Amino acid sequence: MSGSRKLLLVLLLPCSVMLSGCQPVQAWERGVLAKPEMAIDANPLETQLNNHIYFSKEASNGGHSATGGGCGCN
Amino acid sequence: MKINQIPSILAFLPVLCLVLIVQGASAAETGDTAPAVQLPQLQVDGSMALADFRGRIVYLDFWASWCPPCLVSMPIMNEMRNRLQAQGVPFEVVAVNVDSDPEDGIDFLLDKPVDFIVLSDPEGRSPADYKVVGMPTSFLVGADGVIAMRHQGFRRSDAQTIENEIMKLAGGMP
Repeated sequence: MSGSRKLLLVLLLPCSVMLSGCQPVQAWERGVLAKPEMAIDANPLETQLNNHIYFSKEASNGGHSATGGGCGCN
Repeated sequence: MKINQIPSILAFLPVLCLVLIVQGASAAETGDTAPAVQLPQLQVDGSMALADFRGRIVYLDFWASWCPPCLVSMPIMNEMRNRLQAQGVPFEVVAVNVDSDPEDGIDFLLDKPVDFIVLSDPEGRSPADYKVVGMPTSFLVGADGVIAMRHQGFRRSDAQTIENEIMKLAGGMP
């Protein structure tokens, strides 16, 4: 194994161990995310209206946002 | 192929797989023995354990004050619990509040009081044990301590499904 490959391996191994730190926010930790001010969409009614306009004029629907808020409920 | 011909990046794949397998450990599922729960009560002093209810069918519900479906589920499960107990069904609801500030859960229950036991787990150890991925998540635990049903989210129409499962479990009891 060449020196550069050894170096790459030495760098990658600690990286893979650190992957265990890549944890999603757990379901019970979403209290702050669930606050209204944390919503991506500040005005759901206006967004619904905009989506309706897109749907009516451009025959496009969906793809604007995921359903549900930050709390991950339902 | 000689070992030194394998790109180095492949050498770390087993480690990556191991990390991902450990992270994706399986959830508490139907047929598993319910992990032990021993927690302080939210509104009164003293602690309670899931094992204290062995011999009864337990609806173990993980909930938080910020979770909109929990607003729906708590009064419905309270009514179901009181009605089934009046009919002599050995059924109990044990709710685990996971608010990081227990005061939020207490405030919630002042608005929507319930008759069943509410435990407090602000550090989230018990939902971690049950691998809860959304709020609310509930587990129907049979009299033998085995999980009979795992249910995530809550809609009004879910109540009948849950009650049917409880009655099925109660029917199989001596």
